[in-house]
Amino acid sequence: MIDGLFAGTKSVIAVATIASALNAAAQTIPNTTLTAIRGVTVGHATMPGRPTGCTAILVASGAVAAVAQRGAAPATRDTALLRIGSPIDRVDGISLAGGSAFGLDAASGVVHWIDEHVVGDRRSLPPIVPGAALIDLWVGGKPQIRPDADCGYRAAGAASSRPVEEGSVGAGAGATVGKMRGRDGAMKAGIGSTVIELPDGLQVGAIVAVNALGDVIDPRSGRVVAGIRNADGSLADARKLLRSGEGSMPARAGENTTIGVIVTNARLTKTEAARVATMADDGYARAIVPIHTTADGDTVFALATGTWDGAVDVTRIGALAADAMSDAIVRAATQATGAAGIPAVRDLRK
Amino acid sequence: MRTKAALATSPTLIAGLSLIVIGVSALESATNDTITAVDGISVGHFTLGERPTGCTVIVADGDGAVGGVSQRGGAPGTRETDLLDPLNMVEKVNAIVLAGGSAFGLDAASGAVKWLEEHNMGYDVRIAKVPIVPAAILFDLPVGGNPKIRPTADCGYRAAQAASTNPVPEGSVGAGAGATVGKLGGPGKAIKSGLGSAALRMPNGLIVAAIVAVNAVGDIIDPSTGRVVAGVRADDGSFADARKILRSGALARPRAGENTTIGVVATNAKLTKAQASRMALMADDGFARAIVPSHTNGDGDTVFALATGRWSGDADITLVGALAAEVMADAIVRAGTQATGIPGLPAARDLKK
Repeated sequence: MIDGLFAGTKSVIAVATIASALNAAAQTIPNTTLTAIRGVTVGHATMPGRPTGCTAILVASGAVAAVAQRGAAPATRDTALLRIGSPIDRVDGISLAGGSAFGLDAASGVVHWIDEHVVGDRRSLPPIVPGAALIDLWVGGKPQIRPDADCGYRAAGAASSRPVEEGSVGAGAGATVGKMRGRDGAMKAGIGSTVIELPDGLQVGAIVAVNALGDVIDPRSGRVVAGIRNADGSLADARKLLRSGEGSMPARAGENTTIGVIVTNARLTKTEAARVATMADDGYARAIVPIHTTADGDTVFALATGTWDGAVDVTRIGALAADAMSDAIVRAATQATGAAGIPAVRDLRK
Repeated sequence: MRTKAALATSPTLIAGLSLIVIGVSALESATNDTITAVDGISVGHFTLGERPTGCTVIVADGDGAVGGVSQRGGAPGTRETDLLDPLNMVEKVNAIVLAGGSAFGLDAASGAVKWLEEHNMGYDVRIAKVPIVPAAILFDLPVGGNPKIRPTADCGYRAAQAASTNPVPEGSVGAGAGATVGKLGGPGKAIKSGLGSAALRMPNGLIVAAIVAVNAVGDIIDPSTGRVVAGVRADDGSFADARKILRSGALARPRAGENTTIGVVATNAKLTKAQASRMALMADDGFARAIVPSHTNGDGDTVFALATGRWSGDADITLVGALAAEVMADAIVRAGTQATGIPGLPAARDLKK
């Protein structure tokens, strides 16, 4: 937990100094997270008082961006300008936050941080920072504690190219899964990140805060990673409940939503980025069951930094995006720590 | 119990019908685990004799079923999908047509429209009843001979005529006759697939079922185990696994004009048009789980949803949608396991010998 160090840091120079010191220490460990992609920095800010927070994903030289929004209960900002047909074709960052619609304020803080710290000719004016929020107000009491603009500002200030801290931090601090029978059987989840790097230099990375109604499934084996618990603490498996008719599923809006970002170093058009977002959403479908329900606001952003000059095959990039996303979802569950009386995977194993 | 393989290659309608009649008497005691388990849904195939291609008509009896669509593949061939937008007026559809033959195969829908009009089914505009028949096609022109052979309006008419509530024949029939999967390993590594169907019945009477013709760039995966069911063939006759190829960076670029998975989910629940759209969207997650990769630029993947409303229970749309994704994945796996090979293109069952 090094986020705290950066809380309130307003000087980009100070951040860079600390970050480079940490980078030197971490040089022997390969970065297997989103920040392995050149030009991408990530920062978390986790709120005191209740498990919630926000995460800023910054692309200092801009990125072509698109979105796939398929959950039925979304909370988003600036997704309209990501549509094909809107003339805006680059963003400066993405804001992910807890706190339901209130958490959209975090994006404002990210915008202000970029406005103050990023040199004018390297960013849009005003800075373009689409955002999405997940709904964690019920976790840990005190629903009045929500990520605000200051949270976003601090997350942007903490952004670095160090390996992304995973687990119950930032936008994933209050995330939970396995709520198909209500809150009682839920498990703690969090935020996860991965990157796939191919021999030809193509990189596709993912970051995701997993706060689903459904269970987290490892698509390689079909096994439940985290999900609805039985009374004895074992995993019930949402798919079995569904098929047996036990998935009574009261539509509980206000408890769910998975939000994530894919970044590739390929050079994509906005239309190609939209295809990558659509295919990345298949990673949600594979690693979360059920997904895209009426009680989830699932949203995926896709960003292309264009620093790699290789030939673009959007099917390959989209397929890797789906794979990276499902891997990141599994990590969001395995890296989480229990909070507010809700156990995480690592707690069950004890 | 499923004995549909016998019907798989019936070249003529009459032969097909007589086999169905024989099949029905044998099957009467068995449970129908296909989409015709949904009250109000009947299905007919017509498979062309000259080349493995054909069409499948899913008829919603009476005044039709509330419809929806999810269209997420990058290279679609469709008809009447705008009508299914929940903002638009018409709510009920009379049939869905799935066909091979690329965009040419959309003609099959015209044949189904003709048959439905002759049977007085359609949207009533007082001077006529206009049959509402959304449709989608898959691209099978390179498979098994002369690409000039395609499903025509006559194919759609005959498939509608053959529609029944019997368990749906599966495998390499109807719209799935020319379907193949596993095309990411380059030429000569693909495998034959076909059409599959499955149904889930809840103790309270809710039924959610699917039918799908699987003609994907990707491999068919069983999501309950993560194993390849049908996909890119390795030189030793085993599966190469598209996921491994993808991660190694050796992926062959998919060719447009060879792919597309098209399906229908149906329920006996009463849904609004917006809910039917959500059902289609969630059923599309079954594509994502059972086909890797899916929704590529070389696939025109499309899923329709039909709600017949014959069951009066209280249906939660998240439950219906989640079951639609599950049953769609089941149907896709069956499309892989029930297929029969053709010369040069073995099916999964041929590899196991």
